[in-house]
Amino acid sequence: MDKIIFGDNQFFGVNHMSEQTSIKQSQKFKSADEIFKTLEYVNDIGIKSFMFTTHDQLEPVLERIKNDSRFKDFKLIPCMPYAHKYANAMVELGIFEAINKFTPGNKLMAGLKGVGSLITSDPVPIMELLVDSEMKLLKGMNVEAIFLQNIVTDLLIGLGLTNVLYEFSRYTEKKYGVKAGFFTMNHVKLHNILVNDLGIVNPMICSDINKIGFRMNPSQMDVESVLEKHDSFNIAMSILASGAIKPSEAVEYVSSLNGVDSILFGASSPAHILETKELIEAAFSH
Amino acid sequence: MKKLGVIGVGKMGLSHLAIANQTVGIEVAAICDTSKTLLHFLEKNTKFRAFSDYKKMIDDVELDGVMVNVPNTFHFEIAKYCLEKGINVFVEKPFTLTYKESQELVELAKSKNLKGQVGYVNRFNPIFQRVKKLLDEKVLGEIGSYINRMVGGVIIAESSKGWRNDYSKGGGCLFDYGPHCFDLSTYFFGTDVQIVSSVLKKVFSTMVDDIVSAMLLHDDKIVGYNYINWSDNSVRKASNTIEIFGSKGKIIANKQELSIYMNEADVSNNLQKGWNQFYITDENTDVNYYLRGEDFSRQLEEFSQLLNGTISESRSSLYSASITDKILEETFKLSGGVQ
Repeated sequence: MDKIIFGDNQFFGVNHMSEQTSIKQSQKFKSADEIFKTLEYVNDIGIKSFMFTTHDQLEPVLERIKNDSRFKDFKLIPCMPYAHKYANAMVELGIFEAINKFTPGNKLMAGLKGVGSLITSDPVPIMELLVDSEMKLLKGMNVEAIFLQNIVTDLLIGLGLTNVLYEFSRYTEKKYGVKAGFFTMNHVKLHNILVNDLGIVNPMICSDINKIGFRMNPSQMDVESVLEKHDSFNIAMSILASGAIKPSEAVEYVSSLNGVDSILFGASSPAHILETKELIEAAFSH
Repeated sequence: MKKLGVIGVGKMGLSHLAIANQTVGIEVAAICDTSKTLLHFLEKNTKFRAFSDYKKMIDDVELDGVMVNVPNTFHFEIAKYCLEKGINVFVEKPFTLTYKESQELVELAKSKNLKGQVGYVNRFNPIFQRVKKLLDEKVLGEIGSYINRMVGGVIIAESSKGWRNDYSKGGGCLFDYGPHCFDLSTYFFGTDVQIVSSVLKKVFSTMVDDIVSAMLLHDDKIVGYNYINWSDNSVRKASNTIEIFGSKGKIIANKQELSIYMNEADVSNNLQKGWNQFYITDENTDVNYYLRGEDFSRQLEEFSQLLNGTISESRSSLYSASITDKILEETFKLSGGVQ
């Protein structure tokens, strides 16, 4: 896994600090063309990993990457399911209606209906079905790892359905030959479950890690002390806390922590992308 | 550790269940839902005892509190039953469908010395809490007026179908978005309130309102324009923005941002003359467990504190929620119907 991973929040107008920034960003990236241009730049300057939610809008962009030889060594890290597509559907429609909505005509689901609740009471085949359905988008592409969105990771933690996390991890390795990773807003709880309860060796965890401790639950101190153990592969996101921290200070903080292995960041303009990349490289070369 | 029963675990109820299950001081002892598939799934995969009948759940399991996350039409019946059985209640918003029913529950809880909370989650947003504190400390001086705006894109095309286009099923912008907006008004400016004027307008719906314009008067001195529109396609998700005008300055706030304009500097509150800008990132947002935002975790933390007796009243009490129901009812009545 590369030290620097480019993210996709800016493409879809996600900004935790300001609704105005969100609106501006979604105006900038209205078309697949504009998203592709940014990724072209990212690839050109040597950032070779792109982490993204499996958003419908990215489909034409991925298609172009697939057919462009300049992206030969460009690695894709999908995060699934796309939170607003599935998770909100789960909340709005309920788990089973949501699954039916997104896997219409699927043989397994059609079969499940016949067998009834006997099989639908097992979350594992449902999870596998959803992973396969999302991975169709990336067939024949250079996938480095498959991540589970935080809304799902954290819901499973909350309900105590943690064996699904284990099965997800097993399935990505078995079927796709890549490691699983987990987004979370509960780094400490998740780390404890993956490492201590489930015995997963060096699991990949991506969580908010930033100087002001924004969304580092249950607290910045607790997250820092878990990072210190360094028995998980830790990816820091929201290092700028949506712009609340200056880039230089943000990078200085994460590079001062022992347990941060990679940094996931997103930015809209080429100047900001380059600046952040250079700051990270300089900080981690010490 | 207080024992909780969760009634309704589909939709938002599932999130509430997960959050409750991770909340300090609470142990989820039982769940209840009418969906057999969902119930069977949770029964098989989680440790919760599952019931399809809430009365049976209450008979079989000793509970200190229940969460009522069922369709609005059943809030009254279920909350009343639980209170009569001596169980504390958390009810999703809106409290009930009429002011009379809400009043009855407020009185019932009071007479049985039981605790209650309603799911007005905006009251647990760190920015809105900061605004409330600033108002309580009179940092803006005397408040004369406010504009409270809630917009979102729920109904964005011509539509005559579905429960949202039917008042008898809890449809219409007034009854869907309205509770959140009006509750924020009473949170900031108090529950001594009367409706001065009200207009309900259609945009795309055929039987219900899409836009609500209501003028509220609090304490006979603070006048507030409440504008609610669920047919605004330009916004990504529902948002509340409040602008408050006081004798010493003004505030503009939403869930992420707070702008304060001061006529003069306020040294004790570290506010400079002119604009002062704060963001959600300036607030402490730590929670023991995060799922759908710290606001949701904190509202459950508060219910845990209520059950455990560390606080005596919720900042989103049954009483304040009953006043929100009163505002909804009177706004509808005063409008003379949808135009």
